[in-house]
Amino acid sequence: MSVSAAGFAKTFQYADMFKEGMLCTVYLSFFTVILGFLLALVLAVMRLSNFQPLRFLAMTPDGHLREEGFLAAVGRFNPISFIATVYVEVVRATPMLVQLFIVYQVVFSKNVIDLPSVTVLGFLKLNRFLPGVVALALNSGAYLSEIIRAGIQSVDGGQTEASRSLGLTQGQTMLYIILPQAIKNILPAIGNEFVTIIKESAITYTIGVQDLMSAVKAAQAGTFLVLEPLLVVAAMYFCLTFPTSKVIAYFERRMRRGDQR
Amino acid sequence: MATKDNLIQVTDLKKYYNRGAIKALDGITVNVQKGDVMVVIGPSGSGKSTFLRSLNLMEMPTGGSIIFDGVDITKKKVPNEKGKMVKLDIDKHRQKMGMVFQHFNLFPHMTILENMTLAPIKVHHMPKDQAEKKALELLGRVGLGDRAGAYPIQLSGGQKQRVAIVRALMMEPEVMLFDEPTSALDPEMVGEVLDVMKELAQEGMTMVVVTHEMGFAREVGNRVLFMADGKLLEQGTPDDIFLHPQHPRLQEFLSKVL
Repeated sequence: MSVSAAGFAKTFQYADMFKEGMLCTVYLSFFTVILGFLLALVLAVMRLSNFQPLRFLAMTPDGHLREEGFLAAVGRFNPISFIATVYVEVVRATPMLVQLFIVYQVVFSKNVIDLPSVTVLGFLKLNRFLPGVVALALNSGAYLSEIIRAGIQSVDGGQTEASRSLGLTQGQTMLYIILPQAIKNILPAIGNEFVTIIKESAITYTIGVQDLMSAVKAAQAGTFLVLEPLLVVAAMYFCLTFPTSKVIAYFERRMRRGDQR
Repeated sequence: MATKDNLIQVTDLKKYYNRGAIKALDGITVNVQKGDVMVVIGPSGSGKSTFLRSLNLMEMPTGGSIIFDGVDITKKKVPNEKGKMVKLDIDKHRQKMGMVFQHFNLFPHMTILENMTLAPIKVHHMPKDQAEKKALELLGRVGLGDRAGAYPIQLSGGQKQRVAIVRALMMEPEVMLFDEPTSALDPEMVGEVLDVMKELAQEGMTMVVVTHEMGFAREVGNRVLFMADGKLLEQGTPDDIFLHPQHPRLQEFLSKVL
């Protein structure tokens, strides 16, 4: 197998498909990042919440909280945090491909959520594109939520104490004090996850999303070339991911500069 | 009359860890009266900080009661004006207790001015310009009027702690709690912070101060508590404590620190 200029010339006859595929990948990643990040924020806050509906069971008759024993453990049970933890663990412990197929073949099937066969944003097939975005977002939300949770926990406990001592509520403390500092701490990890999303979006070609990867398939089928279309697509993914990580590194440097003024 | 002047009544306050194996607070009973400058001294691990942090429930006590403004804030539910049991809103009570920490705990992502105006704007819904005016006035009083736009990282330790004090004052608390406010400072910066605290005491602010600064305790405090092993071993005026110590643990402690 060899690479030839003629092979590339043939491949470039499919330039329009590659262009549309690239746009599709960008849209996929963009919506996934937004949806996934929102989901992750919700999951992280759920996991760190202190909603304890059974706390009354852990009360002593004079109104103090028990510290030990079965009732104390029952009183500490937090269903919101439990649900989020189960979600994160299940998503992280099952293959992305399985999740994608469950979303596409079950959740968005004819009898559950029947999507109309329309095109959106010019050329995207909604009934393929939307399940792709949803599956990717559900998956990356679980990973991102672990990153955000770590970021929230990395903020010094004294910050919370100072904020609460001023009379700010738990929610206000999270919004104005903890999250701004947490985001700064985890920006590199979030950047990595965004890059991962761009690369992982390739998997959606298995459900017929016409992204970059499906352009490769078309070019390979049409030209009988194997390597050239793959090289082209690898270069195109690189062109998406490399600038993304550079842009995030730039923001990271800018935020750190603020520290050292 | 005497009970009316009681701002905080602490009765048999306990804080246990590991099923009572560690008794950080072992039955503390003390009253803080309006205008008191109560200084808490004692060796490391004596429970002084735990005691102070229990007063605004940064630590949840295991037993006993803290009656602040007529409400037992250690209870999860308290009777309201009509006698109906309602959930205790601890944020409401914390607004009335200012707290100053050993490590300042300024918010690093906000300017000094933003640090000070955040709580009044968000909690008391004070208009922004009014809050900023008040903040600048307070900053001027502690000699930092020109640093309003700076970030905490740009200030020295002493400056940070002065900001932390006026940040707490922005909420117009009824009592100020100081948790070793000078322990993390370079020696030459201790004085500037103590001066601000002294001024505050002279204005009649009720203060509870955990400190190792014996000079401050003698000069500014009107009551001194000596704690060891989670117990309140001796209390009295600075003269009682420093000139006529009774308890052997106190005598031993003073012989080491004075």
